[in-house]
Amino acid sequence: MATLIPLPKLGNTVESSIIVRWIKSIGETVAAGDAICEVETDKATMEVESPASGVLLAQLFQPGDDVPVLTNIAVIGAAGEDISALVGSTAAPAPAPQVAAESKPAAVQLTNGASASSDVLIRISPRARKLAERKSLPLEGIAGSGPEGRIIERDIEAALTRAAKLTPLAQSMIEKGGYSAPEGASGRITTKDLLPTTAPQTPVPAQTDAVEVIPLKGARKVIAQRMLESLQTTAQLTLNRTADARTLLDFRKRLKASAPEFGLQGVTINDLILFAVARTLPRFPELNSLFIDNAIHQHRTVHLGIAVDTTRGLIVPVVRNADTLSLRDLSSEAHRLATACQEGRVSPDDLTGGTFSVTNLGSLGIESFTPVLNPPQVAILGVGSVDLKAVQSDDAVQFIPHIALSLTINHQIVDGAPGARFLQALSHNIAQIDLLTAL
Amino acid sequence: MTKSITIDPAIERQPGTLSGPTIPLNAYVSDPAVETAQYGSDALNRMWHDMAVIRTFETALDMLKREGTYKGVEYKHGGPAHISIGQEASVVGQAYHLTPDDFILGSHRSHGEILAKGLSAIQKLSDAELLAIMEGYMGGKALRIVEKHVGGATVKDLAINYLLYSALAEIFGREAGFNKGMGGSMHTFFPPFGIMPNNAIVGGSADIALGMALFKRVNRKPGIVIANIGDASMGCGPVWEAMMFAAMDQYHTLWDQEIGGAPPVLFNFMNNFYGMGGQTKGETMGFGVLARVGLGVNEDAMHAERVDGYNPLAVADAIARKKQILLEGRGPVLLDTLTYRFVGHSTSDASSYRDKSEVDLWRAQDSLADFGHYLQANGHAGAGKLEAMQAAIEERMLAVIKAAVPTDISPRVPAEQIGGMMFSNTPTDRFSDAKPDVLLPMAETRFKVTQEKFRSGVDENGKPLPKLKCLTYGEALFEAVIHRFYEDPTLVAYGEENRDWGGAFGAYRGLTEALPYHRLFNSPISEAAIVGTGVGYALAGGRALVELMYCDFMGRAGDEIFNQMAKWQSMSANVLKMPLVLRVSVGARYGAQHSQDWSSLIAHIPGLQVFFPATPYDAKGMLNLALRGSDPVVFFESQRLYSEPETIVPGGVPKDYYEVPLGEPAVRRAGSDITIVTIGATLYRALEAAQILQDKYNLSAEVIDARFINPLNYESIVQSVKKTGKCVLASDAVERGSFLHNMAANITQLAFDHLDGPVVVIGARNWITPAVEMELDYFPQANWIIDAIHERLLPIPGHTTTTNQRASEIITRNRDGI
Repeated sequence: MATLIPLPKLGNTVESSIIVRWIKSIGETVAAGDAICEVETDKATMEVESPASGVLLAQLFQPGDDVPVLTNIAVIGAAGEDISALVGSTAAPAPAPQVAAESKPAAVQLTNGASASSDVLIRISPRARKLAERKSLPLEGIAGSGPEGRIIERDIEAALTRAAKLTPLAQSMIEKGGYSAPEGASGRITTKDLLPTTAPQTPVPAQTDAVEVIPLKGARKVIAQRMLESLQTTAQLTLNRTADARTLLDFRKRLKASAPEFGLQGVTINDLILFAVARTLPRFPELNSLFIDNAIHQHRTVHLGIAVDTTRGLIVPVVRNADTLSLRDLSSEAHRLATACQEGRVSPDDLTGGTFSVTNLGSLGIESFTPVLNPPQVAILGVGSVDLKAVQSDDAVQFIPHIALSLTINHQIVDGAPGARFLQALSHNIAQIDLLTAL
Repeated sequence: MTKSITIDPAIERQPGTLSGPTIPLNAYVSDPAVETAQYGSDALNRMWHDMAVIRTFETALDMLKREGTYKGVEYKHGGPAHISIGQEASVVGQAYHLTPDDFILGSHRSHGEILAKGLSAIQKLSDAELLAIMEGYMGGKALRIVEKHVGGATVKDLAINYLLYSALAEIFGREAGFNKGMGGSMHTFFPPFGIMPNNAIVGGSADIALGMALFKRVNRKPGIVIANIGDASMGCGPVWEAMMFAAMDQYHTLWDQEIGGAPPVLFNFMNNFYGMGGQTKGETMGFGVLARVGLGVNEDAMHAERVDGYNPLAVADAIARKKQILLEGRGPVLLDTLTYRFVGHSTSDASSYRDKSEVDLWRAQDSLADFGHYLQANGHAGAGKLEAMQAAIEERMLAVIKAAVPTDISPRVPAEQIGGMMFSNTPTDRFSDAKPDVLLPMAETRFKVTQEKFRSGVDENGKPLPKLKCLTYGEALFEAVIHRFYEDPTLVAYGEENRDWGGAFGAYRGLTEALPYHRLFNSPISEAAIVGTGVGYALAGGRALVELMYCDFMGRAGDEIFNQMAKWQSMSANVLKMPLVLRVSVGARYGAQHSQDWSSLIAHIPGLQVFFPATPYDAKGMLNLALRGSDPVVFFESQRLYSEPETIVPGGVPKDYYEVPLGEPAVRRAGSDITIVTIGATLYRALEAAQILQDKYNLSAEVIDARFINPLNYESIVQSVKKTGKCVLASDAVERGSFLHNMAANITQLAFDHLDGPVVVIGARNWITPAVEMELDYFPQANWIIDAIHERLLPIPGHTTTTNQRASEIITRNRDGI
């Protein structure tokens, strides 16, 4: 008996994943535990392992397809087995690889998924379909409780109860067109949360240059949405100042030169800044806050988001309980996460739950910038380059290295002065980072 | 069934022999001197003239049909044309003594009959009367065309042109035809001249003619009614039924003598010896001489005789004598009028079934030529007179054809207007201002008893009241019927066991005491004639309420329901109305031939209204509606309900008169999760299902009683389905071909986006109805409805099915034909 292989739910918040590539081809023998394909979620790329042994009989999606989690993506069974019953009587036999490679619709026909082109095979009543459309509820992942698995009205109603609620105004804006609800959103969605949809009537200028058109998906799509959402829905104010970096630089030298058994040689300037932030923030809970549903959620513990530049775009993994970690542990966790991100192997669960974020462009020579908030966080620290600064002491002017700090706050929640006070405290702590590590 | 006539074995068992009257055959003896004295030259010449008009009309039509041209006018007549060349003497002789009060009804081959009757009527009506008729008929439309394009030196001349034009325009399907082209060649008729519907169903006119005669008798109207039917129709059951019905003893034994005896109906068999190609003498019948059949019908042998239809004077003589018998109430009469058609049955008939030599024998005795010789030999027509008459007729015919052919002069009715002709929709309290004939004041009838009963089956707290003290469904019907009997003097009711017994299910109990025989009587068990006479009675201008007892017996009256009752309003272009209500009772417990709901068969036939009340409130309110209407209604009742009181409609059955709005379904139970629509007594099982759904599964079902099948306003049903998204339809009709499938298709189209599942139809199994003890497995029950909901619309957590209502059964059952 052949087995249908569903796309696993790769993290609590993952709704769908993109098939990156098939590792096993049709007809190839697969052992239980073998990776059969690689998929990409919002921020991570992972392998899907086969739970069964046998021969890969069908690939139900093509690379590039966005597949709802728990949707069947492959069939494994005995060589030559008839799988038409499994994939639906209307389905063609497993397509030959070359057909699958060039013909997306052929593969889509086999799916039970919910993309527009595969609607014919979704069993759903007109009433349920209309309700889902009216509520802008995607059909992915909704199980039908009607006869023969048909999605009926009560299934949509149940899904709506589980899903985010739209305010009446937001609902009306979506119905009028031009806006859509953010994907995977939870809680109450207001007009501020809505994302403008691309207007299909926008004329595309005649192109004579060679232009590659890249559809927005995966991490890029999420970044695009989040950044715009951030700037549209918060009142961002950036404060700049510098901190005396002499001790910072000295300390970093000493760490680098320390005995290998301490495990401190890899600590970077950025790790030190993270450490300073993690140790300073607990005294400023208004900045270590989340702004959700018109309420301020002040956190006692610091879960520190660190911006990581990857080939797929910006990813912000979270160092949990950063205020309780030693410098060494903090540094090693930050490195683990950054590496995982860059290799596309970060767990989706490591990408959620941050209370404050740090982003560092200093190594690229950026002197100062305006970091964009990562809502619902209310503050983000941008770290710039270390530059010499003329400082007057007594009657002389000294050139002292300073590190640039840019703090963006959501002025809805945090006023300028508290932000400045935090930045001031952080600067003092950076200036005596060696002592801070001893606390 | 009557107590006043004893069936005495001492008499019935007496030995003896039976003999009947002798049947005269062609007994007329021509005496030119007597004929001259009786008719005069003018009338005799007019007879020839009328025969020549018919010959010319039929010849012209035959040429247009066969060759597409007549004297230079080109026209391709696409419809039928059953030509009667050769039969002219039989129709002109018949029409001579008839007045416009005398009705003729005919067959598919009736052009000659209507022209002869029309020409006769023109002679008998004054110029003023003729002008009033022509001006008043359809707003004078045809008259205007005839005045402009044909003309006429005198009013009678104009009227003849009007007759020819309107008949031809009707045959060509034109708006200015007698029936706006809705009848055509086989049906054209013109009531102001006493020309009544001609029927394309063989023998179809027999019982309709009897119904018209019954109307004349009951309502004391002048004139007789002649059914012109062919010799082959003697093989048709409804013709025999009509003759039996016409010959009932009760007209003489039980009816008030003042009414005047039997209905004045003449069954005139135009005996041309062929039914299509089947030869009735020597091949397809055994009577030898058709007139012999009269001997088998009653003691008078129906005053039957064979008349020489090739001599107009022989026919005129016979009609004069028979008319007298009929007016005296001594009918019915059977005439075997010999005739012969020189042409085929229709233009496609190559006459392969008869020798040309046979046709030549009759041609040699052509009545037109012979009568011409008679006129000339006896000094009625001088040299050249007949030729001059013939030339004038042809000139007239050409002018008429030139007006009837072009569609700019004689356009067709816009097709969409046909819909507006299907029903007359003119509610009428009474079709006569006469005082209704009754035997008791209404307050002293059973009406007094029913009025005093509890009007609802439950008290104000919803507790059931003793059934015997509550007004039942059957009694609610009674209240509607007796109301109309005391309002409309033309109303008559009959059927099997209508008197004394009070109808098989007692709805008419108490009417026997209230009404004289001529308004309420037992008919023979002749379902075709029961309905067919009702059709004739209604077409003649009265209101008839006829009853077939079991729905299953409708098959016996198939043609009368499907082709007659349904069609004559529209085929007459609303010149005639059909205030006919046919009560049929849907049985149960009585097996395969007494338990069927055939409402779907009726629903399929355009022109019928179909009612099916399921509560006493509706029984009265819908029968009131039907009995005040002007349209034909097949009124279904349920034998499960006759003894049931009103338990659904709050307040019960009103004492006063009221009507249920036409075509409006009734919401019997409000709900929000699922809609259940029923037709008929299935309502109660649906309500039971709704209660179980509520109590056991917390599902709220809305139950709608369609009440009407046609017309039917879908708005409230669609509104409910839009609300609930789920719809089950149920009735006791077998599932295959059930009207519910129509309803399902319509609901699906009207509420598609709102549907949460397919509209489910639940009907009785496609089997014979089994024994009463097995009916739970045959007729839809509450658990079928719940199981169907569970399997096809909304799986109900915790529900276990006890019947197989899965959609996959549709495939299986249809594949097996069951």
